[in-house]
Amino acid sequence: MAGETASQFLPILYLFGFGVVAGISSVMLSRLLSQRRRYNPIKFLPMECGQIPTGEGRSHFMMQYYSYILMFVVFDVMLIFLYAWAVTFTSVPKEATLPMMGFLGIMFAAMGYALFLAGRKGIW
Amino acid sequence: MGALNPDFRFGNFVGSIVQLVLFILAFVTLLVLPIIFFVLFFVPLPVVDGQVLTPYLFFSMMVDPSRTIPVIQFLIHTDLFRAAVFPGFAFAALIAASTIFLERKLLAKMQLRVGPLYAGKIEGIFQLLADGLKLISKEIIVPSGADKVIFWLAPIMFVSTSAAVVALIPVAPGWVAADVDVGLIAVFAILGFFPLIILLFSWASNSKYPFIGGLRALHQMVAFEIPFLLSALPAVIFAGSLNLSNIALSQNLFWNILVMPVNAFVFFISSLAELERVPFDLPEAESEIVAGWLTETSGMIFGLIQLGNYLKLYALAGLFVLLFLGGWYGPQIFPPELIPGASTSDVSLLRLVALEGLYNPVTINSIFWFTVKTFVVILLMLITRGINPRIRIDILLHTGWYKMIVLTFINLFVVLTLIYGGILGPGGLISVK
Repeated sequence: MAGETASQFLPILYLFGFGVVAGISSVMLSRLLSQRRRYNPIKFLPMECGQIPTGEGRSHFMMQYYSYILMFVVFDVMLIFLYAWAVTFTSVPKEATLPMMGFLGIMFAAMGYALFLAGRKGIW
Repeated sequence: MGALNPDFRFGNFVGSIVQLVLFILAFVTLLVLPIIFFVLFFVPLPVVDGQVLTPYLFFSMMVDPSRTIPVIQFLIHTDLFRAAVFPGFAFAALIAASTIFLERKLLAKMQLRVGPLYAGKIEGIFQLLADGLKLISKEIIVPSGADKVIFWLAPIMFVSTSAAVVALIPVAPGWVAADVDVGLIAVFAILGFFPLIILLFSWASNSKYPFIGGLRALHQMVAFEIPFLLSALPAVIFAGSLNLSNIALSQNLFWNILVMPVNAFVFFISSLAELERVPFDLPEAESEIVAGWLTETSGMIFGLIQLGNYLKLYALAGLFVLLFLGGWYGPQIFPPELIPGASTSDVSLLRLVALEGLYNPVTINSIFWFTVKTFVVILLMLITRGINPRIRIDILLHTGWYKMIVLTFINLFVVLTLIYGGILGPGGLISVK
C-alpha cells in the first residue's frame, strides 16, 4: 500500500472550497435579490413566540451530562485501539486477540460501573 | 397581468432588442473571443491523443465531433473534475436535490399536503423551484446581540464540511475524489466537526431556543458517536483496510449485512441521530422549542444548512451502502458496447453517440448499482421520518449509551466466533479474499 502523502487529502480541501464558494455566492445572491424593508427594532429581537424577550440569551443551565462526557472521552480513545487491531486482524496471529479481549473486558467493567454511577442521582 | 404602458411603441420594443443583440455581439467580439484566443495560445494545454491541444486541433473538432472524446477522457480523469463534478460536488448536489424532491413528494402523500403533489405540470417538480426562490428572495435577519461573524460563517462552514465528507465516498472502483488510506477514520473525523459548528451557531444566535437546541444536538451526537463508530468495526476486520474502496471490494462474495445485520441496524439508527432526522430530531423539535437551533435562521442561511444536511444525508447513505450493502456490486445489466459495431464504423457521429473509449460497462454498472442502493437507503430514512413520532431525550440518551453499544459488541463477538470457528475469513469455508 502506498504511503500516505498530504496530496491524497487535497481533494477534501477542494470540496471544502467548493462548499465555501457555493455558500458565499448564494448568500451574496440572496442579499442582492431579497428585499430589505424598513428598519424595525422589534424585527431584530430574538424569537420568543411574540413576547418581549427577557433575560440573557446565553444562559447557564444544567444538563446532567458530565458522567457521559467522561465516558465518551474514554471510549473515543478505545475506539482508535480497536480500529488499529481490526485493520491488522488478518496479519497478526490468533493469540493477539486475547489481550484485546482482556482490554475490552476491562473497558466493559469500567463502562458498566460508569453507567451505574450515571444513573444515580445526587452525586453529579 | 399588467396593462400595457400607454406610450408603448412596438418599433421601440424591437429597436431595444436589436440594440441589446448588437451590444452582446460587440462584447463577444471585442472581449470574449480575444480572451479565448489568449488562453488557447499562451496557456500550456494538455497533450491529447499524442498531440498538444492547439487551436487548430480545437477547430478540427468542430468538423469531426468524435475527436472531442479524448479531450473529455483527459478531463474526467483530472482531480479537479472528480472533486467538482462527478463523484464530488455536482453529483452530490444533484442527489441532494432529488432527495428533497422525493422527500417532499413522499411526505405529501403520507400527510395529504397539496403543493409538492401538484405544483407544476410534471409531478410537482415546481415545488423545488418555488422552495429555492423563496429561500433566496427572503430577507436574512441577524438577531440583535448576535455574534455576527460566527452567525454568517457557521452555515457556510456547515455546507463545506458536509461537502468535504462527500469527497471521501467512492461510487465505483477508482471513482472517488479523495482516495485516502484511512478513509473511514477520515469520514468520522470530519463528522466530528458538526456538533462544534452547531454549538457555535446556536451560541452566536443569542437566543434561548437555539441555545437549548444546540446543546441537545451536542448531547445527541456525542451519545451516538460511539455506537456509530463501533458498528463499522467488523467491516474493517473483513476488509483488513480502512480504505472505503477496499471495504467495498471485500464484499464481492457476500454483502456484509448478511453477517452483521445488528451492526447495520445500529449504524442506520446512529446515522439518523447524526443527521437529526425524525425520530431523533430533538435539536429541531418544533413543538417544544420552536425550531431548535434553527430558530433564528432565515432565508438563505436556513437554505444553506438544509443543503448541508442533505449532502450529509447522501454521504451517510453512501457510507451505509459501502459498509454493509456490498458497495457497487450488482448484476451486470449494461451491454459491453453501447451501439454494437460502432467502434469499427467510419461515421464519426456514430462513434460520438456510442461514446467510444469513454463508455466502460463495468464502471457504468457500478455507478448504477451504487446509486440505486443509496436511494433505497435514503428512501428508508425518509419513510422513517414519515411514520415515527419524536422520542424523549432521556430515552434517546438511554438508547444510545446502554443499548446500542452493547448491541454492536454482541455482533462483534458473533463475527469473531465465525472467523475463529473457520467459517469466514482467510482459510475458512467462505474465503473473503
